[in-house]
Amino acid sequence: MDPALLVEWLVKSGVIIFLILTGFAYLTLFERRVLARIQVRIGPNRAGPLGLLQPLADGIKLLFKEEVIPDKADKVIFILAPVLTVIPAFVLLAVIPLGPEISILGRSYSLSLAGDVNVGVLYLLAVASISVYGIVLAGWSSNNKYALLGGLRSAAQMISYELVLGLAFIGPILLANSMSLKDIIQAQSRVWFIVLQPIGFLLFLVASIAEVNRAPFDMPEAEQELTAGYHVEYSGMKFALFFMAEYGKMIVVSFITASLFLGGYLGPFVDKLPLLGPIYLLVKVTLILFFMIWVRATWPRIRYDRLMALGWKVLLPIGLLNIIITAILVILVGGY
Amino acid sequence: MTENVEVPKELDATIQSMDNRFHDIVTLDDRKSYTGYLVPVENLIDFATSIRDDLGYDYLSSVTGVDYFPEEKMEVVYHAYKTSGGGALVFKVQIPREKPEVPSLISVFPGSDFQEREAWDLLGIRFSGHPNLTRILMWEGFEGHPLRKDWKEPFFEEEKKPYKNRWPEGGVYRIEDEVPMGKNVKYPLGFDPQKWTPEEQTTFKEDMDSEAGDNGSNGSAMHTDQIVVNLGPQHPSTHGVFRMVARLDGETVVDLYPEMGYLHRNHEKIGERNTYIMNMPYTDRLDYISSMSNNLGYALAVESLMGIKPPERTEYIRVMMVELTRIVSHLWSIGFLLNDLGAFFTPALYAINERELILDIFEATAGSRMMCNYLRFGGISRDLPDGILETVRELVNERLPRKIDELDTYLTENEILRSRCIGVGVLSKEDAIAYSAAGPVLRASGVSYDVRRADPYSIYERFEFDVVVRYNGDVYDRYLVRMEEIRQSLRILHQVVRDIPEGEIQTGKALYQVRVPAGEAYGRVENPKGELGFYVVSNGKPNPWRYHIRAPSFINLTALGKMCKGEKVADVVAILGSIDIVLGETDR
Repeated sequence: MDPALLVEWLVKSGVIIFLILTGFAYLTLFERRVLARIQVRIGPNRAGPLGLLQPLADGIKLLFKEEVIPDKADKVIFILAPVLTVIPAFVLLAVIPLGPEISILGRSYSLSLAGDVNVGVLYLLAVASISVYGIVLAGWSSNNKYALLGGLRSAAQMISYELVLGLAFIGPILLANSMSLKDIIQAQSRVWFIVLQPIGFLLFLVASIAEVNRAPFDMPEAEQELTAGYHVEYSGMKFALFFMAEYGKMIVVSFITASLFLGGYLGPFVDKLPLLGPIYLLVKVTLILFFMIWVRATWPRIRYDRLMALGWKVLLPIGLLNIIITAILVILVGGY
Repeated sequence: MTENVEVPKELDATIQSMDNRFHDIVTLDDRKSYTGYLVPVENLIDFATSIRDDLGYDYLSSVTGVDYFPEEKMEVVYHAYKTSGGGALVFKVQIPREKPEVPSLISVFPGSDFQEREAWDLLGIRFSGHPNLTRILMWEGFEGHPLRKDWKEPFFEEEKKPYKNRWPEGGVYRIEDEVPMGKNVKYPLGFDPQKWTPEEQTTFKEDMDSEAGDNGSNGSAMHTDQIVVNLGPQHPSTHGVFRMVARLDGETVVDLYPEMGYLHRNHEKIGERNTYIMNMPYTDRLDYISSMSNNLGYALAVESLMGIKPPERTEYIRVMMVELTRIVSHLWSIGFLLNDLGAFFTPALYAINERELILDIFEATAGSRMMCNYLRFGGISRDLPDGILETVRELVNERLPRKIDELDTYLTENEILRSRCIGVGVLSKEDAIAYSAAGPVLRASGVSYDVRRADPYSIYERFEFDVVVRYNGDVYDRYLVRMEEIRQSLRILHQVVRDIPEGEIQTGKALYQVRVPAGEAYGRVENPKGELGFYVVSNGKPNPWRYHIRAPSFINLTALGKMCKGEKVADVVAILGSIDIVLGETDR
């Protein structure tokens, strides 16, 4: 194997992990500041300029916290669960192209670890589902009733919404006639899929918020009902891992949304200045993240049974209908 | 406040004529400054049924006991009202102190449930026929009944305050230093705190086992297990240390009962050892969101015993403060209901933002933001500072109406809020009356009953306002009642700041040690949470002989189990939020 390729992969993996980790840290700060603004407060602004060192302070605090493992917990699974939850969040980003190919010193690099995998979308769906195991196992192994209820809720919720998520994926796939994310992004060079697939976009947005357990679908955590749901017994860094997973997945989901519906890294002058690509992508991702925080700050939680009803009785039929209509139109009008 | 004067003659006539059965049995309570009727123990249930069905006294406001220690007897005092309005029908049962046993009224007035348990817990009055006569505020292993006059607490040093020995020679001296911790704490015989487990958990388990055998309560053939979940005492949505023991079938609540007393400090015992004025700041700590209203209830009770009335200006200031308190409390309640529904702190903080402005007014007048301690017997502690009326005017005429509309716009029509609240936790009109629910909980169930209108106190009969009623009795209606009551309070405030006269603020001289003639009085006010009543018995000494509080948060919880049955776990939190309890008052 080409050693240069190996180095390239290592560097890219490092970049992705760095992106998720700092992204996680600063997303918490971003969320707290935005939330504070929406709630007529100021938010954390003491640690460093504009509170920029706050995530660092939080991280240090969590590292030094005592790790409590409940006496009657299943210890192996209890420790494994947060790891199982956090890993998918990291590896998901591998297939997402962060920009067009750029050439440095005569060698062209694609700005992703495996951007042109021909089943990229399938990979996303498959890996994203793994984290449900972490949550269910965390709920079960804690030997706590709140945690168990949270874990069960999350199992039911994520499985239901995964279906909708999958159906929402199919629209762009049909339009681009490919499952590679790179092709899907390239197919949007004329018009973004949000225009061609408005219903698909909305479905995707709802399902992905439910998938990452964010308000108003934060049933598994449901602070007001289940105290904290599946991670009620976790403390210290293991607790932080769950949050890392949640925020990591928020970031990844935003990347996927941007790539599938908002043209990914595409934007004016990207052809001439390829480095603009990642910047455009980042702006789009930030906007989606802002939207998620905004929703969290303003809406009450939907009740669990209504959430399930919404998933199965409303979103799923709409998703199926959307696919049929898209498929017929693609055949009649022709895809890209 | 009208109930503690003379019983109207025609009422007397009705009760004498209503049934010949009671003509000879029921006697008028002829002790000086006492009102009501003495009913023999054996006729109590008959009498209660009769006044409910024949006379229309369908609302049992308060049940409490008094320990007349020197006379070796106990008395159970009932205050019944008509939901159509008017004064109280007070009836009492006297029983020997050695064996106090009274038939339970739970079959006639289910709302007496918790109050009878409280009387059993604190006074040791046994209510025969009560299905669950267990301790409610004290813990199960507790020895004795603390409100009895011969019960002495650990570190007991003297019968009455002010203690003589606090500053013997200018230095502080405390009995706690003399008696080492726990030396005189009494346990039941053979009690070991390390091994003790509360009984109710085992009974609940038996319940479970008996039902676990069937094919699940959802009617399907699939076998389902029910689990018991303790919501609380450490739980973010119980608004304090409060516990709900819920039996769940999946996400559905099969059975639920509230468990309280974690914040119990025997307010009434302490109150009975305080002098009258010492209790004024102590009432602040009941419903600590609305201390001004608590002050008013207590002041009304003691003032009626003393037979004084505050001057005109004071009445206006009192109403102003109490209505501002109502706005504070309802804003708080609406904000935290939304919080319980999962809109995490955004609506709450906007509501609290307005609350802060009102607290500023309290701070300027009373000197404290929450623990106001503002009212005195026959007056208030100090007059309004200069310019504060302008601030209030600006607030109630300009800012608050706008902000309330704003909250209304964003919350009331919210789709998720509606779907979470409409039809959830329904309490029917009949149940609401039977369970003695009070305040917004009662009015949301279609009962147009507001003490300010039904039995006006202070100067409420002068003001124009509507009693807010809604008819569905669900969480949404309780929310709407509170929202509308804020507007009505603003309407009253608008009239207050327009009409407030100049003048004295204190009737007579402001005294540290008031002289309260012997007698009994029941002062009740429409607190933001519901009807707050103070039952005060004086024997002419500097300390009240009996000081009982009818706490609306406590009694409203009687219906909680019924409201929650069949709902989802998530709804329990919303229902509790819509009852709007404050643990300082619930546990006392």
